[in-house]
Amino acid sequence: MALGRETWRLAFKLVIRQPGRSALTMLGLAIGVGAFIAMVSFGEGARRSVVAQFEVLGTNLIKLQTSNPGSNPRPAVPLTDADVRFIEREATTVARVLPVARRNTPVAFGGEQRPTWVNGVAPGYIGIHSWELAAGGNFDKTDLDERAKVCVLGQTNVRELFGDRDPLGETVTLAGSVPCRVVGVLAEKGFSTNGIDLDDIALVPYTMYNTHLTDRPTYAYVEVEPTNKGLMDAAREELTDILRRAHGIQEDEPNDFVASTPLEVIRAADRTAKILGTLLASIAAVSLLVGGIGIMNIQLVSVAERTEEIGVRAAIGASPAQILTQFLIEGLILTLIGTLAGVTLGIAVATLVAENMGWPRVISPSGVGLSATFGVAVGLLFGYLPARRAALLDPIHALRRE
Amino acid sequence: MLANASPTGAPVIETRGLTKVYPNSVGSVPVLAGVDMSIAHGEIVALRGPSGSGKSTLLNILGCLDRPTRGAYLLGGSDVSALTREEQAWVRLHYIGFIFQSFHLLGHATALENVTLPLHYAGVPREKSEQMGRELLARVGLSHRHEHFPTQLSGGERQRVAIARALTGRPPVVLADEPTGALDTKTGAEIMRLLLELRDERKTSIILVTHDPEVADYADRQIFLRDGRVVDRSEVPDGPRS
Repeated sequence: MALGRETWRLAFKLVIRQPGRSALTMLGLAIGVGAFIAMVSFGEGARRSVVAQFEVLGTNLIKLQTSNPGSNPRPAVPLTDADVRFIEREATTVARVLPVARRNTPVAFGGEQRPTWVNGVAPGYIGIHSWELAAGGNFDKTDLDERAKVCVLGQTNVRELFGDRDPLGETVTLAGSVPCRVVGVLAEKGFSTNGIDLDDIALVPYTMYNTHLTDRPTYAYVEVEPTNKGLMDAAREELTDILRRAHGIQEDEPNDFVASTPLEVIRAADRTAKILGTLLASIAAVSLLVGGIGIMNIQLVSVAERTEEIGVRAAIGASPAQILTQFLIEGLILTLIGTLAGVTLGIAVATLVAENMGWPRVISPSGVGLSATFGVAVGLLFGYLPARRAALLDPIHALRRE
Repeated sequence: MLANASPTGAPVIETRGLTKVYPNSVGSVPVLAGVDMSIAHGEIVALRGPSGSGKSTLLNILGCLDRPTRGAYLLGGSDVSALTREEQAWVRLHYIGFIFQSFHLLGHATALENVTLPLHYAGVPREKSEQMGRELLARVGLSHRHEHFPTQLSGGERQRVAIARALTGRPPVVLADEPTGALDTKTGAEIMRLLLELRDERKTSIILVTHDPEVADYADRQIFLRDGRVVDRSEVPDGPRS
């Protein structure tokens, strides 16, 4: 209908001819919509960032550890080579079994000596934890079988013992008496979230560790990789069953070990991050509502300011319905522009923050769609009241006011 | 809804016993107490009377901005005394043009947009309404001022825009409330001459509310109001402004 299009055109002109007032009206809504999009993006970005950090721990590993809960009358039985071999023989869902033995013991080179964590591990340990080598190589299956006296050093040990010198090919002394050739250097990993220096470490073949670095070969923990990621739960059940049998645990007795998956930790972190995200979104939703109220207030002021104009329009022959429509359309135009500005603002802020925080920039179309819809709805809802007030103005009073 | 304005001499406006009572705390105050009047096609009538005589109320009722408490108001032969707000708006749009003392132009609209506003509400397509608007602006001597905003126009020019606006819908009746009240004498006289010319061209009936006897002299006939009644001229005390 021609009148409809004309009404839009005239309303648009009016909006453009009062840029200051229009901008003020839209500001609240734009900020509200922008905040909503940005907050949803922050929440999701932070969540993915947290999850990614936990995933470095290895999402597809089951960790077996000795455990002795207070209620358990049995003494703790450490995990041994026998357990590892039993698992390797019995388990059907397991691809690799990686035992880890560790102790804090001195490492020495030249005149320097310092305590460090020495981990007896399998060659696959580095890869499965996404660790990287800065120089040299890793020890291999042959080294493992031959109980070779070789090691891969963390950056802290390299720095403290060798300074600027190249450690590759040099021989360090472990535990005061075991000479060990340096075959590789780990890339720097920094500190863990609880303040442990992850570079203060030396990796050796666990066979060599069992032979030369300990009197009683036991493992701190055993990491198990299932044949595929989907078998995590099945593998955990099977491992629990096997270890119970290996330790001779009766049906009514509790486990003397724990079989845990990083997935559980990740899920917990994921849940926490999601709660945080919801919280952020709720706060942003409030600001969106406030933005809508802002539109209503300015439109109400505008109706009061434009009393004369409304009276003139009414006297000329505009029906209450036409005046209502005009104000609704004006509100709608302001709402649409404000929402559009808010979407742009929100995406810009989300991008900026994501870049600075090193998060992945996550802008979900559904989040943008939701906030845009919500923004327009809020604008319309709060635009209606002033429009109705304008339509109900008595033209006689409206014209008398001067 | 209403019969077309007929040139046969039947009155365009006729009121019978028009009464308006405003309730207040002590009872009710009659502002109009039975006004009978009749205005012919193409007639210019000056409505005069002291403040409080009921002029404004009568004008509001004649302009379908207000409704009488009692009595009949026939516009073009149809009773319009008890219409809804939407119906009143429709009657104003098609039958009545308003001219105000303080012009009442829309500040954010150009002269042309002000003039075409009634056509917009009547649903006339833009090209046609703009053409009609340009013609009318040319007729009131403002062909060079289409795109000017009211603040860029002089008082006389603004009133010409307002007159053009009142006439765009070709209403049979124009209500002019002190149309020269905000203008100097010379400009006021020009505006009155313009109204007379337009009446002659279009056979529009004009009801003119004024305090100014000189302005009232442009009218074909004068109606005096006192205490809500039409009275003879002799009954109105001849004050300096009435």
